[in-house]
Amino acid sequence: MDLDFTEDELQRYSRHILLREVGAIGQAKLRAARVLIVGAGGLGSPLALYLAAAGVGTLGLVDHDVLELSNLQRQVAHATARVGQRKVDSAAEALRGLNPEVKLELHPRRMDAAAARELIPQYDVICDGTDNFPTRFLLGDACHLLGKPLVSAAVLRFEGQLSVFRAHEGAPHPCHRCLNPEPPPPGLVPSCSEAGVLGAVVGVMGTLQATEVLKLVMGIGEGMSGRLLLWDALDARFRTVRLRRDPACALCGEHATIHDLSAHPG
Amino acid sequence: MVTSMPRVSFTPNLRRHLDCPTVDAPGATVRAALENVFAGNPRLRGYLLDEHGCLRRHVTIFVNDAPAADRVTLADPVGEGDDIFVFQALSGG
Repeated sequence: MDLDFTEDELQRYSRHILLREVGAIGQAKLRAARVLIVGAGGLGSPLALYLAAAGVGTLGLVDHDVLELSNLQRQVAHATARVGQRKVDSAAEALRGLNPEVKLELHPRRMDAAAARELIPQYDVICDGTDNFPTRFLLGDACHLLGKPLVSAAVLRFEGQLSVFRAHEGAPHPCHRCLNPEPPPPGLVPSCSEAGVLGAVVGVMGTLQATEVLKLVMGIGEGMSGRLLLWDALDARFRTVRLRRDPACALCGEHATIHDLSAHPG
Repeated sequence: MVTSMPRVSFTPNLRRHLDCPTVDAPGATVRAALENVFAGNPRLRGYLLDEHGCLRRHVTIFVNDAPAADRVTLADPVGEGDDIFVFQALSGG
């Protein structure tokens, strides 16, 4: 591992390197890491900003959307002057301003099965910041089948959920389908555009997601695999529930029936 | 005789569109406790259970913060002071 840092790097990351759990070795692990963020929106904004600030060496951004004024109440990597730009380009401008040392790989495309097959193998850690169940299930299936850890967060109104899935490493790690065997029928659980979301809630959950990515890359602390963090901002309550690997799971169970991404579009 | 009275609560995104406040519901199993909740709320039953009475695939139940083992007959034993938490995932980002 390359432990040589420039003077600028030593200054920029000094508060990290001071941490016994991080040090020069942890910082070097971050610099060598390749992290893919799917969704450059509410979760993806704080996630990308904190990972860039932390010195993650390569960040991939996937998003096919264009920035709209209604995004800016929560998507803090963007700016009013960039409304109308592709979100990956807008986010890249913010990230380059924060830390020009980070290599950015921009993927202005929809995350479908073809994109998952092509992009996920190129990265060490995958982050789910998407806004719909079909893409979330695609990412969960793809990360398991392609052997990559998935750091997943989701939000609605005043509520957030967070977990890490790495069932490809074997028991006792559960996969996303051990928790949710199937998505809810369409229309049953509203989206943020239908039901709303408090901007700061998305910021907290994206920042928690970034924290789990950094821990995972550096190999420090207790990971979230096998646990699900729930936050009810209105009640100001955090709750952690345990997850269990399901022997009958269609994705990671003993007699799994999902072996490829053919059920997903693309 | 000891009264079996677990507490049943629901994830906030369920509480938004279904009438399902936190309640103490008698029952020695998850099913028995839930049936007591459903007695006054048949719409909630249809949302959580399918036509065979099994837990719908997008819903998860936790007992004392661990996943209930039985999604079919909901036979996990519960007792006084136990916490039954009904969960469903979010998709917003």
